[in-house]
Amino acid sequence: MKYFVLVLGILFVVIVFIFNFLVVKRNQVRNALSTVNTLLKKRYDLIPNLVEAVKGYVKHEGTLLTEITRLRAEALSGQKSREAKEAVDNEIAGTLKSIMAVSENYPDLKASNNFMHLQKTLNEVEEQISAGRRAYNASVNDYNNGVMMFPMNIIAGLLGFKEGDFFSIGEKERENVNIGEQFKK
Amino acid sequence: MKTIEDLKKFYRETLYVALLPLEKQRKKIISVITISGIVIGAVVLIICLIIMGSAKNGGLVFVMIPVVIGLIAFGISYYIVSKGYKRQFKSAIIEKLVKFFDESLFYDQESGIPVSKYMTSRIFPKDPDRYKGEDYIGGKLDKTEIEFSEVHSEYKTESTDSKGNRHTTWHTIFKGIFFIADFNKSFDGVTVILPDVAERMFGFLGKMLQEYNFTRGKLIKLEDPEFEKEFAVYGDNQVTARYILSTSLMERIMEFKKKTGRPIHLSFVNSKVYIAVSYDKNLFEPKLFNTILDFNMVLEYYKDLALLIGIVEDLNLNNRIWSKS
Repeated sequence: MKYFVLVLGILFVVIVFIFNFLVVKRNQVRNALSTVNTLLKKRYDLIPNLVEAVKGYVKHEGTLLTEITRLRAEALSGQKSREAKEAVDNEIAGTLKSIMAVSENYPDLKASNNFMHLQKTLNEVEEQISAGRRAYNASVNDYNNGVMMFPMNIIAGLLGFKEGDFFSIGEKERENVNIGEQFKK
Repeated sequence: MKTIEDLKKFYRETLYVALLPLEKQRKKIISVITISGIVIGAVVLIICLIIMGSAKNGGLVFVMIPVVIGLIAFGISYYIVSKGYKRQFKSAIIEKLVKFFDESLFYDQESGIPVSKYMTSRIFPKDPDRYKGEDYIGGKLDKTEIEFSEVHSEYKTESTDSKGNRHTTWHTIFKGIFFIADFNKSFDGVTVILPDVAERMFGFLGKMLQEYNFTRGKLIKLEDPEFEKEFAVYGDNQVTARYILSTSLMERIMEFKKKTGRPIHLSFVNSKVYIAVSYDKNLFEPKLFNTILDFNMVLEYYKDLALLIGIVEDLNLNNRIWSKS
């Protein structure tokens, strides 16, 4: 009886330890995700300025500007699942790239200080978003290791800890920007 | 970056002329050293013979005294004679070579990276008890300000032996080149990249050990397995560390590590990059007993300098596409 209680006690301590360990890891994932969202917010804030700066110069790419404004509104509207949000964000990234690419064809625009500054800020934000996503993926990896490794996987399964999803690079982002295609729009 | 062809041309047209009087002086110094060696040797020998003749067996220990004094006298005369030459050599050759790379660079053989900047880097957290810096090179290459120098930092330990005598032992913390450059992205905080001894030696267990290095901040686990094998990264912010260490910069650091073939430590502190490249030898020093008219000698100094000045290109620091211009 004495041994039984002792084993039970040890088991309890182990479970508490693993539970807390997993909670810490899961919170790290959540924290990393909120950092990514803050960085994405920075990108959304840049879009109106960019549209304003580009509008006067580019005559033939009106659709691109309307598209980016629409996407921004969509990203900011209401609650969405993480996957849906990620899809919109990837579309935004792709469209922004296209805008930057077609801007190359307007020397006046390229030379304007305002645009140059915006371009640099955008590069910075993009790099930060990518860093934020990498940090998120690293914390998901850490957390998933905890959830999947024996014997923690048993307790994680019992207590309802599920594997986390990684950020994927969207198809649109992976494609090279086709300038010719953009001009047809 | 200047090529070896450029260097050959520079050597033929500029450097060779500057080397001629120095070579003459070098030969003179060698003869002075040889003569003083012979004279001191002869005097010591005579004194030793006198001592041995007059003191018989019991006095042989005293022979050591003139030998030691003779060696010290030779050492001092060697130091005095070669010191002036060393200074002249550095200002004639190293300074010209530095200017050959870029006119905007300047060289000061007497000064070094100050200890305050060395400590700001957080690469070596231990406070040094003795710190020396020489051969300072600084300037601006296109958009990037750089500075580097030789640095030797040491700490001491004191022990008392059984007879009550105190002994001070000096231990090297770092010896080599300490390099500082303006980084092309703005950021706050500290990210330190250290050679990964633990992981290479103990594999997975080593990785676990790294995680509990409390003095260094959080361990940053990066995606590049090659990079992870070579380095351990610590920082105060997971996102900032990855913002600095883009996948391309990780590759560039790996390439630079291979190019040097030496242990390197890096840190990124408040928009600056600090790099410590360990060297056993003393760089940019003249070799008294080799001719200086040999192109290979110049080539060796060129290679040392090219490796360090080339960091700006190797790490692509002039690429200013982010808001920092």
